[in-house]
Amino acid sequence: MFSKLRKTFLFSLLVIALITTGCSANVTATEVSSTEAPATGGEVKLTLAAYTTPREAYGEVIPAFQAYWKEKTGQTVTFEESYLGSGAQSRAVVDGFEADVVALSLEADITRIEKAGLITHDWKSTASKGMVSNSVVAFAVRKGNPLGIKDWADLAKPDLEILTPNPRTSGGAQWNILALYGSLLQGKVAGVPADDPEAAHAFVVNLLKNVTVMDKGARESITNFEQGVGDVAITYENEVLVGQQAGQDYELVIPSSTILIQNPVAVVDTYADKHGTREVAEAFVNFLLTPEAQEIFAHHGLRSIDDGVAEETADQYPAVPGLFTIDYFGGWSKATPDYFGEEGIFIQAMLEAQVPTTE
Amino acid sequence: MSQAVNPALSITKKEKRSPSELGLRSITFIYFAVMILIPLVVIFQDGFREGWQEFWRQINLPIAAHAIQLTLWTSALMTLVNGVMGLATAYVLVRYEFPGKRLINAIVDLPLAIPTLVTGVMLVILYGPQRALGAFLKEELGFRVIFAPPGIVLALLFITLPFVVRTIQPVLMDVDRAQENAAATLGASNWVIFWRIVFPSILLPLLNGVLLSFARAVGEFGSVVIVAGNIPMVSQVAAVYVLGEVESENRLGASAVSIVLMTIAFGMLSISDWLYKRWER
Repeated sequence: MFSKLRKTFLFSLLVIALITTGCSANVTATEVSSTEAPATGGEVKLTLAAYTTPREAYGEVIPAFQAYWKEKTGQTVTFEESYLGSGAQSRAVVDGFEADVVALSLEADITRIEKAGLITHDWKSTASKGMVSNSVVAFAVRKGNPLGIKDWADLAKPDLEILTPNPRTSGGAQWNILALYGSLLQGKVAGVPADDPEAAHAFVVNLLKNVTVMDKGARESITNFEQGVGDVAITYENEVLVGQQAGQDYELVIPSSTILIQNPVAVVDTYADKHGTREVAEAFVNFLLTPEAQEIFAHHGLRSIDDGVAEETADQYPAVPGLFTIDYFGGWSKATPDYFGEEGIFIQAMLEAQVPTTE
Repeated sequence: MSQAVNPALSITKKEKRSPSELGLRSITFIYFAVMILIPLVVIFQDGFREGWQEFWRQINLPIAAHAIQLTLWTSALMTLVNGVMGLATAYVLVRYEFPGKRLINAIVDLPLAIPTLVTGVMLVILYGPQRALGAFLKEELGFRVIFAPPGIVLALLFITLPFVVRTIQPVLMDVDRAQENAAATLGASNWVIFWRIVFPSILLPLLNGVLLSFARAVGEFGSVVIVAGNIPMVSQVAAVYVLGEVESENRLGASAVSIVLMTIAFGMLSISDWLYKRWER
């Protein structure tokens, strides 16, 4: 009897062993399941993995591209679109979500795919250095700006409620914090001298004492603000503009100094080659950079990377005097660990802001 | 949760095991292993892949440690309230007749079906600082509900409400009323009858329900992420911390904190199991 039991047990173990070794490929499911066939004749399918912000813009860009491609080659392109948070989307692609094209919020999320060996070409070689749209970190304030918030310096005043997402849960939220630090360290914030990390730290600690909600992402944060929570939301210009388009009555305040948000796009070589979609995938990425597509992005709150379109829309998107880029921090590969790593500058400020808790 | 097994129905050791029994057992064991055991092993492996010391360091990082503490005390507070109110609810539903009883009885299970995210949104609408009730509490009493720990407790209370009620209810229905009637004839007050006769018979299901709801609460994410405010060191619970570590490529930290949560939940469920075994004797 015991031997029989043992057999059952051993058999089960064997099955488990087989399953575990078989699972080591580690495949994660995403919103869209795709079973692609190579491009054949009159029809081709393209899978786009994007972050959530430009969803509406792609809703207009994609039909334009389909018309363009049909006219040029006679081929019909069908699209499979997946929209997720940028970090989650990036990890999904790394784990086997076979997207031909990825459009994400920040460069670091493309770099992750590149490091996994799925993007093998120099994706930053386009005229826009791999970027498809821009925006800036800005503030959303209540109608009529009752608290008179104009610049970063106003955010550290007492008795203010600020919303900004947590940069640990949302890669995109790192833009907000870096916009703040960049402005501080360059001496663009009243009362804080340039290149004085200690003064910058003290300012951030004060500002953090005003932060009452740290949502897990930029969209949740602005939604909470729309619900009536808080006096200021640190967010992106495009989020405010899209909200206003949808009838929200909050106002946009662009500080005198802020960071230029740059959103990258790239063909995923491994998957595009596997699906035989390289040609159309590259054409799609190039199409995104044309004035036609760029105007659509501009309608949806995003600053254009095309000089012509940027000039046309300059009324809507005023130039920011103290604009800087991620290069100020030495790129994402340096900024993320420096500020948001375990001992990161921002993490330290967060610890200090909450001890002792004066709630 | 193990239920009492009637010895008469269980197969005695001397009986021969049929092939069908062995087959069914193999299938359930494999199913259990694939669905639960292997994923758990993977998480444990992940959390300990750099050894005990690193695991210990990860769960003692100030933000992680605070998140675990916050999770534990909010869950404990919820458990306390849930134990008292769940017992009262079950008692009322079993012992009293009143209009709307069937409806209330049906509604008790609803928190299990509502996406916890919706629970969070609903609580923000009700208690948020911009709504009448929330504004009143904040302005008049200086008491912040939403985006603060009280909101976490409220959310946990909502989602775990069925656990205590539903574990007590069936047992309470089976309680023999004869003893109570006898006590009443002998002049015992309702209070004495409850404490001396009814309460001892439902103590174990009560503990069981309470431990279950505690175990359920430590892992709660959907509703808490909406209502807590998620400020590290103030209102960020462990499950939200875990999300942050996953998003920030610190899977080790995420797994380490998850292991702590799972171990606590497992401890609670084991205690509940052990109590039942003792009770059977």
